Amino acid sequence: MTFTPPLSAAPGVTLGSVLDAKIPTGDPETAWLRRRQEYRVINPANRKKFTVAVVGTGLAGCGAAAALAELGFEVHAFCYQDSPRRAHSIAAQGGINAARARKVDNDSLYRFVVDTVKGGDFRGREAEAYRLGQESLRVIDHLNAVGAPFAREYGGALATRSFGGVQVSRTYYTRGQTGQQLQLSAYQQLMRQVQIGTIKLHPRTEMLDLIMEDGAARGVIVRDLSTGKIHAQPADAVILATGGYGTVYYLSTLAIGCNASAAWRAHRHGAYLGYPSLVQFHPTCLPVMTPWQSKTILMSESLRNDGRMWVPLTAGDERAPGNIPESERDYYLERKYPAYGNLSPRDISSRAGKEQIDSGHGVGPMHNATYLDLTDAIKRLGADVVWERYSNLIEMYRMAVGEDPMRTPIRIAPNTHYTMGGLWVDYNLMSNIPGLFVGGEANFSYHGANRLGANSLLSASVDGWFVLPYAVMDYLAPKLGQARPALDSPAVTQAHSRVLERTERLLSVHGTRTPTEFHKQLGSYLWEGCGLNRSDKSLKKAIAQIRTLRAEFWQDVLVTGKGVGINQTLEKAGRVADFMELAELMCIDALDRSESCGAHFRLEHQEAGEAVRDDDQWMFASAWATDAPLDFASNPELKFTRHAEPLEYSNVHVARRNYQ
Amino acid sequence: MSVTPDTGATPVTLNKPELPPQFRVSARRQKRLPNWGLKAVMAITGVIGALFLAMHLFGNLKVYTGAEHFNKYAYWLRHVGEPLLPANAVVWVLRVVLAGCIVLHIVSAAILWVRGRKARGKFSAKRRGGLRSFEATLMPLTGICIALFVVFHIADLTLGVQPLASETFQEPTDTAAFAYQNLIASFSRPWSAAIYIVMMVLLSIHVSHGLYTVVSDLGALGKRLRAVLITIGGATAVFILLGNASIPIAVLIGVLS
Amino acid sequence: MKLTLQIWRQAGDTDSGHYETFEVDQLDAGMSILEMLDRLNEQLLHEGKEAIAYDSECRESICGTCGINVNGRPHGPQPHVTSCMQRLRSFHDGATVRIEPLRAGAFPVKKDLVTDRGGLDRIIAAGGTVSLMAGTAPDSDAISVGHDQVERALDFAACIGCGACVSACPNGAAVLFTGAKITHLTMLPIPAIERNERATYMVAAMEDEFGPCSLYGECVLVCPQNVPLSAIGSLNKERLRSLFHPRI
Repeated sequence: MTFTPPLSAAPGVTLGSVLDAKIPTGDPETAWLRRRQEYRVINPANRKKFTVAVVGTGLAGCGAAAALAELGFEVHAFCYQDSPRRAHSIAAQGGINAARARKVDNDSLYRFVVDTVKGGDFRGREAEAYRLGQESLRVIDHLNAVGAPFAREYGGALATRSFGGVQVSRTYYTRGQTGQQLQLSAYQQLMRQVQIGTIKLHPRTEMLDLIMEDGAARGVIVRDLSTGKIHAQPADAVILATGGYGTVYYLSTLAIGCNASAAWRAHRHGAYLGYPSLVQFHPTCLPVMTPWQSKTILMSESLRNDGRMWVPLTAGDERAPGNIPESERDYYLERKYPAYGNLSPRDISSRAGKEQIDSGHGVGPMHNATYLDLTDAIKRLGADVVWERYSNLIEMYRMAVGEDPMRTPIRIAPNTHYTMGGLWVDYNLMSNIPGLFVGGEANFSYHGANRLGANSLLSASVDGWFVLPYAVMDYLAPKLGQARPALDSPAVTQAHSRVLERTERLLSVHGTRTPTEFHKQLGSYLWEGCGLNRSDKSLKKAIAQIRTLRAEFWQDVLVTGKGVGINQTLEKAGRVADFMELAELMCIDALDRSESCGAHFRLEHQEAGEAVRDDDQWMFASAWATDAPLDFASNPELKFTRHAEPLEYSNVHVARRNYQ
Repeated sequence: MSVTPDTGATPVTLNKPELPPQFRVSARRQKRLPNWGLKAVMAITGVIGALFLAMHLFGNLKVYTGAEHFNKYAYWLRHVGEPLLPANAVVWVLRVVLAGCIVLHIVSAAILWVRGRKARGKFSAKRRGGLRSFEATLMPLTGICIALFVVFHIADLTLGVQPLASETFQEPTDTAAFAYQNLIASFSRPWSAAIYIVMMVLLSIHVSHGLYTVVSDLGALGKRLRAVLITIGGATAVFILLGNASIPIAVLIGVLS
Repeated sequence: MKLTLQIWRQAGDTDSGHYETFEVDQLDAGMSILEMLDRLNEQLLHEGKEAIAYDSECRESICGTCGINVNGRPHGPQPHVTSCMQRLRSFHDGATVRIEPLRAGAFPVKKDLVTDRGGLDRIIAAGGTVSLMAGTAPDSDAISVGHDQVERALDFAACIGCGACVSACPNGAAVLFTGAKITHLTMLPIPAIERNERATYMVAAMEDEFGPCSLYGECVLVCPQNVPLSAIGSLNKERLRSLFHPRI
């Protein structure tokens, strides 16, 4: 069977090669077991001779660093936060899926795989979904043993809850703070190795370049954010676990500091970026309330179990919600999707909400939200029951907005949440650059075009604890005795001077617009052009806008202060500079993919509001290369090449997602 | 340009303090007296002190049973255990233990206080009316007052040092004690009675917070156990205040004479 | 809304530091204190001045990165709320607000409002861990744990490590933080295996850098996660318990 990728609708895109993801042939269910049997191992006494640099200390980074250190490798762990515990894995609320299938609700590994692959709208790898399910058992056991207080039944067994898009109950949780508990457990295991001395920890340190020697990743260039000093850390392998890049939209549910810099620098060195435009938007975020709002806070989706979403029938209705009579309200989800109503899937709900806001029906002082109304539930169930179910969310809303959801409806709006896209990796989680591994949200694996709820904590944990240690050891095994780049080798000094040059350039522009102003502008271009809905027109417009803005950035950015010591403006400027380039590629990818799938909704490819996939042409993963000179201190013209990795499904029946 | 060029890859480990690798193999020792140890010392000596105070109160209340009985009790204290033990033996044992407790209590408190000030840092502390913050802040102050009061109390009613003791102070003899008369004489002076009354207020504040702290210092955890212990501590303090302070008041208003 | 801000400025860790006064106008009561600093920083940049350095990450009160003293109170006027969620509606129009770094002897100021809270990490490294290698854990359902037990453990595990308890403490103690971790791990069956060693090492690391506890109780008043004061009693219990565990 030969695979011919379709031509690109995006101008100037070169068609690249057909990629081999190195997935073991044959039954995907046994693929991981067979692959592990093929992997090479290293004698424990020799492991300490290898150095691995791990960038990022979220669930994937902490897991990989701790597991490799436990095996005996020397690990250098980097995070830009003041402590590794603060990585944004900590903010995940809902839970972590696992295919333990203990109950008699007929859950199974197969069902887990079907849900994951189907949820991803058949744009993820089947064999990886199997691995995710298989390793999920050890993830739960390990995290439980090292301190995550998973919720228990009164009888003492682990409790589960059901989560969006799944008919069985397989989500393990610790109240509404599962991410926090898993992240802290992983962080503690990292700190254990720091104490023993096998991990050298570098907090407040940002990766700014990759050391490449003989075509392989051989270390990182980092900037110590406390002193401003730029250091080199040669290594035998590099693991990027740097998370998602949703902050490219400016407003997102991500942390303020989340950025794409490490991943983007690796990309500029040749690492492919998979599905850059696939971004999940969460339907129930707090809306923007002031022009100075720096992010949007997630309100758990569970509110939709009892809340009804509505907007006023007449656009621009300024009346208080209580004064709008029943007959003048539009319960838009119940009207458009009578079968699922307020429980329609994330992408459907997000798009429907945005449609109402865009058509002028938005509510709140900035007309940028829709109502999520608990009053019917209070009438039906009583205030006590509603309070018991949602007290923490109601408290959070009161704190953030200053209104009482028990009396006035909650205002919510969709916003950027998770990036399915990321650096392209093969089945062994290695990018096309030898020695450069990518784990967690930073890679594009597992989730296809749409991530299933509670699968993100799982994929990060599986990557970190139970895939990377095997794969990295296999990669390192034949490299015993190979010297790491010397500090005065051209690979190191060139990378170092690139970083230095960029820092100097940013400090010397002395323009008139702050990095935040550029970031906000970029975010609004991207939100309009490459947001929930994308079209040929909107994307082309956004690309032009982004290119202009990027040119302006390098002429007009305003960074004060010095390169020594803490300079948060400088950090921000560097991150925004990388977002500027990434944003263009996101638009190019969205323009290129002439179909709708999962979170990628092209207005041209729909059937009455439903996404229409084109499996004949587009059942492949896009992996992008950016061709531009390796010069990080200017605004080079970016040229893009799309490589393609065809996807095959042998155990899961390919079908259209159906919400009716 | 102010950027420092530096390619020296100096791995930054956690900067301070350097903990020995494999800390689990070689047990880590603290070089100085541990705070938790000092706290435990304060807790234990404090409890001994509080027990003594409760016993002392019980004895004091005998004053209401009349001069003869009270003096008999005072005499018995010096001769308990005779003839097995020499005279004053039990009193001296109590004195040594109590003096030791007071010294340990004060030294520990001083060390902890200095360490606390150091750990506070360069910004001054501004309190916000915490749960027990007021009493906790008073502890060193009430403690110092109590130490001074102990000196006064011994000079007044044990040693009879002038001018702190009353002019009619009588030393105990081998066959009799004059505790009742000494007490009445001392409390008949309004300034002396006032000192005793005020000090009982401070003492009970110190004891109540002290015993509250002891519950936590010695690691009592269960909700019910904590509640019971804290109640007992509070009740002890209240009894010390009411029982002891009633005596000078009774003397002043003429109930005792 | 208009506020007068007295903000601690300190160029670097060796600088002595001073308060600088700023007027900020056209504020919205719904803004967070940190968003107000964002706005002030934009203003400063346009004036060609250096922005005020401060830490923040998730801005939804879970990561523990943010932490400033507002009018002498860690995080700000609202109790149990992190700086990032403190709204300006707590202040009346025209008020003067003093903003300082999280002040404690163990948290040296690195720049402006940025402090070094590495001491908290060192406490965790010393023993807030479980000596168990990846892949070697037993089946989670093999050891049953009661429903209330894990819920109680979570009350303590919820600590976000922001350091507000240390800053609130007149003694600069980290006993609530350390006690929360010790209690959390003691309440779970597998981590509890090392409880004696954990208490010994964690308390030693804590006392190396932080002050003693006098049970002022200030810490629980500012704790964003409402970690109970019994964490302190629990720490003392575990430390004393480790003295008496049998050594054969």
